[in-house]
Amino acid sequence: MKLTCEQAVKQFFAYLDRALSGEEFEDLEAHLEACLNCCDKLAFSRQLDDFVKHHLPDNPVPATLEARVRRALERGPGA
Amino acid sequence: MSLGERGHRQVLDPETRGRFEALALPHLGHLYRLAARLKGSPQDAEDLVQETYVKALRAFPALRDPERIRPWLCQILSRLVYDGHRSESREVAVGDLAELDRFSLYDLIDQEDPFPYSDQLHRDFLARFHDGEVRRALLALPEAYRVPLVLLYVEEPSYKELAAMLGCPVGTIMSRLHRGRKILERELWECAKQRRIVRTR
Repeated sequence: MKLTCEQAVKQFFAYLDRALSGEEFEDLEAHLEACLNCCDKLAFSRQLDDFVKHHLPDNPVPATLEARVRRALERGPGA
Repeated sequence: MSLGERGHRQVLDPETRGRFEALALPHLGHLYRLAARLKGSPQDAEDLVQETYVKALRAFPALRDPERIRPWLCQILSRLVYDGHRSESREVAVGDLAELDRFSLYDLIDQEDPFPYSDQLHRDFLARFHDGEVRRALLALPEAYRVPLVLLYVEEPSYKELAAMLGCPVGTIMSRLHRGRKILERELWECAKQRRIVRTR
């Protein structure tokens, strides 16, 4: 294995965000194929991302917001 | 008429404003949801959306591709929050960075083993948190870390797009996303200790 576990873990977030390519991507994939512990850690990082996304606030849009914004636009940037 | 008044009139030209409103207002809901996720409080989110639209109207004549108005509005809104962090001292209040980089919620849950009979320990740990606790943990992140992370979760841009949106190098985005997630892990662990989900002091 080219990467140590410590080096692999540092790449997890970039991997999950599809920001790895070329040699970096291939090295991490090779490490994951051989290291079950890192696979579990990566799965948890993915799980945690999904968990936080799922808990993001989803407030209903206030009914008065459009009228408020329209008034502000009418007053103009200097208002 | 003074120069300032002329400039003001130009921006307020009813035709330009009408075009702007027709293009921009259909995205009000999306902008509001993003604002609420970045700011936490509904009132702050409304203020931010209003500020975004007023600023966008001023810059509207310079928008080259009206089809890209939604990402453009999202960029203006995000920059209003992100640029605010530069004048704040909260950015440095994340503790020892080397220690933060080493922080691993996965390892801590493993060591603590709060549910000895569970065959999905880490999943069960996360399931203990309520909506409000996760949101508070996210809001505990300084804006410098929270803005790129929330944008990544909501808009799913590439690192390059995120860097362009926030006006900073790709390397800064990478490190903010990495550390933002680590701070979030740390906040959840602290919350678990306070709630006595885990015994560690």
